[in-house]
Amino acid sequence: MRATENQGSFLNRISIRRNQVVSMDGNHEQELEDIELFQKHVADRFSNLLSPSSSSSAESPSDSILSIAWLRKLLDTFLCCEAEFKALLIIGREPSQVSKPPLDRLIPELLDRVVKALDVCNAVTHGVEAVRHCQKLAEIAVSALEQKPIGDGQVRRAKKALNSLIAAVAIEDRDGVGSKSTERAWSFGRRGGSACAGSKDRTAGQFRSLWWGMAKGWSAAKQIQAMSSNLVAPRGAESTGLAHPVYIMSTVVVFVMWALVAAIPCQERTGLVTHFPVPRQLGWAQPIISLQEKIAEEWKKKEKKCSAGVLEEMQRLERLAQSLIEFTDSFQCPAEAERLGEVAAQVAELAETCRRMEEGLVPLQQQIREVFHKVVRTRTEVLNVLDQVGKASTTPTI
Amino acid sequence: MEPPEDSKIGLEEAEEIILRWDSTASDEARDKMIFDGDRLEVDRYLHAVDRIQRSISSISISDDQAKVNSAIQIAMARLEDEFRNILLIHTAPIEADSLTDPSSSTHSSSAASSSGAAADFEDDPYEDKDDDEILQRGDSSNSVSYRSTSSIREIDLIPSDAVIDLRSIAERMISAGYLRECIQVYGSVRKSAVDSSFRKLGIEKLSIGDIQRLEWAQLETKIRRWIRAAKVCIRIVFASEKKLCEQIFEGLGTAIDDACFMETVKGPAIQLFNFAEAISISRRSPEKLFKILDLHDALMDLIPDIDAVFESKSSESIRIQAAEILSRLAEAARGILSEFENAVLREPSRVPVPGGTIHPLTRYVMNYISLISDYKQTLNELIVSKPSTGSRYSGDPTTPDMEFAEREGKTPLALHLIWIIVILQFNLDGKSKHYKDASLVHLFMMNNVHYIVQKVKGSPELREMIGDDYLRKMTGKFRLAATNYQRATWVRVLYCLRDEGLHVSGSFSSGVSKSALRERFKTFNAMFEEVHRTQATWLVPDSQLREELRISISEKLIPAYRSFLGRFRNHIESGKHPENYIKYSAEDLENAVLDFFEGCPVSQHLRRRSH
Repeated sequence: MRATENQGSFLNRISIRRNQVVSMDGNHEQELEDIELFQKHVADRFSNLLSPSSSSSAESPSDSILSIAWLRKLLDTFLCCEAEFKALLIIGREPSQVSKPPLDRLIPELLDRVVKALDVCNAVTHGVEAVRHCQKLAEIAVSALEQKPIGDGQVRRAKKALNSLIAAVAIEDRDGVGSKSTERAWSFGRRGGSACAGSKDRTAGQFRSLWWGMAKGWSAAKQIQAMSSNLVAPRGAESTGLAHPVYIMSTVVVFVMWALVAAIPCQERTGLVTHFPVPRQLGWAQPIISLQEKIAEEWKKKEKKCSAGVLEEMQRLERLAQSLIEFTDSFQCPAEAERLGEVAAQVAELAETCRRMEEGLVPLQQQIREVFHKVVRTRTEVLNVLDQVGKASTTPTI
Repeated sequence: MEPPEDSKIGLEEAEEIILRWDSTASDEARDKMIFDGDRLEVDRYLHAVDRIQRSISSISISDDQAKVNSAIQIAMARLEDEFRNILLIHTAPIEADSLTDPSSSTHSSSAASSSGAAADFEDDPYEDKDDDEILQRGDSSNSVSYRSTSSIREIDLIPSDAVIDLRSIAERMISAGYLRECIQVYGSVRKSAVDSSFRKLGIEKLSIGDIQRLEWAQLETKIRRWIRAAKVCIRIVFASEKKLCEQIFEGLGTAIDDACFMETVKGPAIQLFNFAEAISISRRSPEKLFKILDLHDALMDLIPDIDAVFESKSSESIRIQAAEILSRLAEAARGILSEFENAVLREPSRVPVPGGTIHPLTRYVMNYISLISDYKQTLNELIVSKPSTGSRYSGDPTTPDMEFAEREGKTPLALHLIWIIVILQFNLDGKSKHYKDASLVHLFMMNNVHYIVQKVKGSPELREMIGDDYLRKMTGKFRLAATNYQRATWVRVLYCLRDEGLHVSGSFSSGVSKSALRERFKTFNAMFEEVHRTQATWLVPDSQLREELRISISEKLIPAYRSFLGRFRNHIESGKHPENYIKYSAEDLENAVLDFFEGCPVSQHLRRRSH
């Protein structure tokens, strides 16, 4: 038996009391101001996210809500809020304040949420890979259909790619359907169709292994659910002081992660909550609540359609793919000029969407990594502060 | 039948061959694979494809062009299926044997690695001894350094004739503009092969949440397994996949082999590193230090291989992630050491150790820093800042300070170790004050400081870092404690045996006050019995120290008693009930001293020599 086990109690019962400086009341004013500023900034930043830049038109909204560009902005917003929050919580603050009630409960809860968010980041990163996969299939279709004149060969090629795309997209709603990949699975994907029938061909297993990058049984929906539990606005006496910013930051974390999960296909999203109980009367929360409602609407639409969508570019991809498949199904050489014109427009749109994905997905992944880092760093710093005040015993051990 | 020659095959004939193998058209075409069958047929088919492709530039009539394009699409669809089929046939996860024993070079599903295998074969890099003995009581096992020179070993995953076929297909697909399809097929089949290898290596998919919930002991096992698996993954599995991509795709276009490689391994690589990353962000606590250092060292060892295997621009993110994890592990190690120091300083237990023996904290700390000295190669690189000690001018009673002399010419790590010993003693000093008996205070310190000295002397690395100067200082300290103990206990006992106050001038007796003498004897007996009873239950674990202490006591006690007896026994024996006063002979006392510091109680009465 190790000596450590005997002495586990020693070194885990750290009770360090550095000399505690009594907080001066003069700082109180400053603190209140900082908290108010934080609230305002949060409200402002999320307001910006509500209205995409004026330069984008309805036809080609490059950063409409839930587009890749918008998600990147969302992550930027998150990083700004996080940085400000960290400054509020740690810098120039007496460590002991961080351990007084109700913070002694609220901060560990926030840290716990934050750790769950790390797993969400990882899941979404895998999801972005899946989206890129769809993008590449779409690019095949584009390159086939862009050729002039369109002949049987190109159409068949496009059809094959588009069918694979649709099959991939439909897979998400099937979980754990043990499709053993057959040795000689043909690549002609069957239509996914509206009934969400998961095609059991080789593509099924492939996409599942692409998306299901997380541990078996891990569920994004459940993770978000767990993160949003205990998310309760502080009331009464608690609502002054740091408890409120902690609540704000918690809400921001949960919202951003939820938005990511809603947008990007990732492991096991069925049953994703669509509503967080953020009190409507909180001023700073209005933009977030509005965004939440918009995204929830898109999510419900997606669930009806059994699509992988919500991400604006994915929705476009799916829509165009379906339409182009119809074209390929009914294609006869030579095709009518009018029809060809329509198709060309759609192909162009598809190409544009792919281009945006090509430009934005890898940077999005990098940003997610950055979020991961910053969050880890902040957590470490907060843990250090907590340890200083000897509250190690009340926080999770690992 | 004449074997068809490339230039002689006509366009129509080529088209016919292609249409014959259109799998959407006939069952027969669907059920058979070209590349499974007759090599002549394979050649014919490939020539047909080439012929058709060549004709694109020369055909101008749009009808014919459409026909040709259609034929190309059929051919490409076919080739895609053939490509997939060849890959599937030759996909078997790397056999377990070749994963654990790098010196074996052949096994069933991969060809002999002689062809093109570049590797330097190093002695078994899997020599990682399981360091189960961490922090066992009293021992520090020799931990084998996890640093070995890198040894990438590429296995031929697919036999070379199949590789040639794959390449010839890829060539044609790429030049027909079907690169994307080719990459997709390749990536999907090879990725699932890598996944199977991962499963065989026991690489688990664990979320950060999962890892948080596990006990550290379980995690240690997983870390060990991960280290072994990661080496194989990077040096063999990934390296071999890269080689395969090069074999098939090199020179066929710009960085196509890179694209295929990343398509295959990006997901698995991220999955592999996620585990190490999760460990690097786990909460810091002292017992984690050594496994984290193991992980750090193993990863550091792998970095050159990671950089080599993932050298392309598109795989930059993987290299970056590995470097990030490494730096986080280093930070974690530093943080843990710092936390350990704090914990030692502030360890708050107040319950005094019975018998004044070695405190468990002392044992734990000394074992811990012995192990640290085993890891000094790594820690010397990681620990670059000096410990933050108290200042002798701060007057802060809660933190000791470290004298300048102790800091001369020492590495930061050595300074930390000395500092840990300083604060250990500081803490022990505080604990010693909880003993009610002043003698026990000193005995306790003597025992513990002596133990520290013995542990340092027992480890050459530790001794070298701590330095003989400080060792001498500590030796002096425990000797002083021994002296203080003796003073605290025995001065008053021996006081009973002094001469002054016994002689009375001008009285009836021969100059000695009998009553005073009787008092003296009674007091001495009582005191000695008390001390004997009490201090028999005290413990000096180190036998040599115990002996020395007893001898030192005897040296002072026995002659004093003997001489006292010699001078004054007559006066007692001439009075009433001498046995009440002279209870013990010198030999009795000598024997009694043997009971001291044994740690067990003795019977109430001392053995007496019967008069």
